[in-house]
Amino acid sequence: MQLALVGLSHKTAPVEIRERLAFNSDALRSALTSLVGREEISEAIILSTCNRVEVVAESQDDRLIREFLCEFHRIPQDSVSKHLYSFRNAEVVRHVFRVAASLDSMMIGEPQILGQVKDAYRIATDAGAVGMHLSALMNRAFAVAKKVRSETGISQSAVSVSYAAVELARKIFGDLSGKGVMIIGASKMGELAAKHLKRAGVSSVLVTNRTFERAVELAQVFEGAAVPFEHFTDHMDRADIVISSTGAPHFIITKTLAEQIIHRRKNNPMFFIDIAVPRDIDPMVNEIDNAFLYDIDDLQQVIDANLKERMKEALRAEEIVDKEVEAFCSKMQSREVVPTIVQLRDTIEKLRRDEIERNRRHLKDLSPEQQAAVDQITKSLVNKILHTPIEQLKHLTHDPQGPDIAGLIRKLFNVKPQ
Amino acid sequence: MHVVLLRLALGLYFIGFMHSVLTTLNKKQTFFRPALAAMFAGFVFHVASIVLRAMDVRYLPLTQQYEAFSFFGALTTLGFLIAYAKYRIAPLSVFAFPLIFIMTFVANLFYDPNPSIPPVLRSNWIYIHTPLVFLGYAALFIAFAAAIMYLIQDRELKSKHLTRFHHRLPSLEVCDDLAYKSLAIGFPLITLGIISGALWAQSVWGVWAGDAKVLFSFLTWFVYLLLIHYRLIAGWRGKKAAYLSIVGFIGVLVTFLGANYFGGLHTF
Repeated sequence: MQLALVGLSHKTAPVEIRERLAFNSDALRSALTSLVGREEISEAIILSTCNRVEVVAESQDDRLIREFLCEFHRIPQDSVSKHLYSFRNAEVVRHVFRVAASLDSMMIGEPQILGQVKDAYRIATDAGAVGMHLSALMNRAFAVAKKVRSETGISQSAVSVSYAAVELARKIFGDLSGKGVMIIGASKMGELAAKHLKRAGVSSVLVTNRTFERAVELAQVFEGAAVPFEHFTDHMDRADIVISSTGAPHFIITKTLAEQIIHRRKNNPMFFIDIAVPRDIDPMVNEIDNAFLYDIDDLQQVIDANLKERMKEALRAEEIVDKEVEAFCSKMQSREVVPTIVQLRDTIEKLRRDEIERNRRHLKDLSPEQQAAVDQITKSLVNKILHTPIEQLKHLTHDPQGPDIAGLIRKLFNVKPQ
Repeated sequence: MHVVLLRLALGLYFIGFMHSVLTTLNKKQTFFRPALAAMFAGFVFHVASIVLRAMDVRYLPLTQQYEAFSFFGALTTLGFLIAYAKYRIAPLSVFAFPLIFIMTFVANLFYDPNPSIPPVLRSNWIYIHTPLVFLGYAALFIAFAAAIMYLIQDRELKSKHLTRFHHRLPSLEVCDDLAYKSLAIGFPLITLGIISGALWAQSVWGVWAGDAKVLFSFLTWFVYLLLIHYRLIAGWRGKKAAYLSIVGFIGVLVTFLGANYFGGLHTF
């Protein structure tokens, strides 16, 4: 098996270059067909996302892929060559494993990339561009990605504002089912946070806004209720989580108000999320017992800490990938070497039997014992001759040179798969 | 034989103890599963040890310090196992395992092969009074551990500097719930324990005899009464309740460990 990969990503190329080399879904099929149509390329997969374009192929030569990329997109090679990276064999395996495990992503640990890799694999399979080599590689890559995800924390903690809000809510309330959220003011980010909370199990949604119609509109989206802005404080005790994002120039929730609400709620905890700038909620609210206030900077700080944690986990993930690459490569090598051993023995054995058959006439005068002896002698001769080469081949199963030497032996003895 | 079993239990508890130490140092759950298995096996040996001791002395094995510590250790393990089965809060182990280990270790230190049962303790009341009090203590210990976890989690959330504790510890709601339920089990038990103790004293001396232990247990009981009151009437929860629960458990420790040094009827 000879693997080659050529690609570019957010790490090596700006978006102007990436978009010029990207494949849209219509182009993918014809590109794949044209790739495997070449004699030197037997299998190929193209991964094209907004952050990367990669072509992985079963081929001896990565230059062919470079040429193909530029020809297909009608771009002169020298204009992109400094942005392209190429890998061969074990390096390809490592790169594919790292990409699938989201270790090469812009946001390390983001979960979408695995889905995109799976899509790319499916499209290539449908186009008939995938054979046993790439399918073995990709299936192992999916397993490695799963392993990295479950054994390290690279995808665990939230790295977006809305997910951070959900995660914090879970640490305050535990189970979110039966909890209520109030959205004050209609902003994109507030809406997004409410959407994630709702998906996490929050059961009731109250919406209030200076323009009541907008509140009604938003309430419909969340199957909740709209509350007039003038009276929103009357309903606030029903909310466990308050997301505020109005354009008000001053605090709309003061410490006194929050204290009253908490009192009305019999000290049941409240989580205030203030994503407005300037802020809507007096920072002193955080000092009230059972009230937890996070403004946009606080959430950002949580995200930054989570990111640092992800980086640490990524190191552990790299170790897993290292081990997997080694295991996969040595398995692939033994896959090439073992059949050679079997087929070499079969080829020589066939020669021996054919020779005996051809000389049957000369042997027929011999007694059955003598005939058996001839058979035995030729057999042991074959075994003796093959003994050393086969022992050597067995040692080569885990040697990176194994496939090359196995190939040489095939050529020398004219060994063919039967 | 019973002491061999107790030492076996102690050895297994040591694994749990090391788990707690390493988890605290690494700030990350370290070999929790093996430790949990070791604690469970230790508990089985521990119970067997207590049963054998009971058969030896033909009496409730709770008349010596050795027996008292051993018994308390076993009940704390039981309390932990029940709380873990219900809530699956792994970090509870960090609090429970060291206490269990230390109690069992102290029991080993005080080991006295010759059981001599003080005549004053020869009474059927011992079968009621002591187990009630000890079971209550075990439940209140769980409440104490839950309160500490609550306070750590609360501090993390308020400070907005989330450390690994934040991720490992359960939510505030769960901590508070565990603390409340343990209190709801522990408080009636110590109440009945104190009543039975008073009745026992009356049957022996005809009067309520007060010694340091009685005094401290009353104080402790009163702290928990306040806690129950505030929780039910004033809607206390979370931080305030957690602080009071910790004060209460300090009272328990003083009662259990300290009172012997002040002299009195409970010195044995």
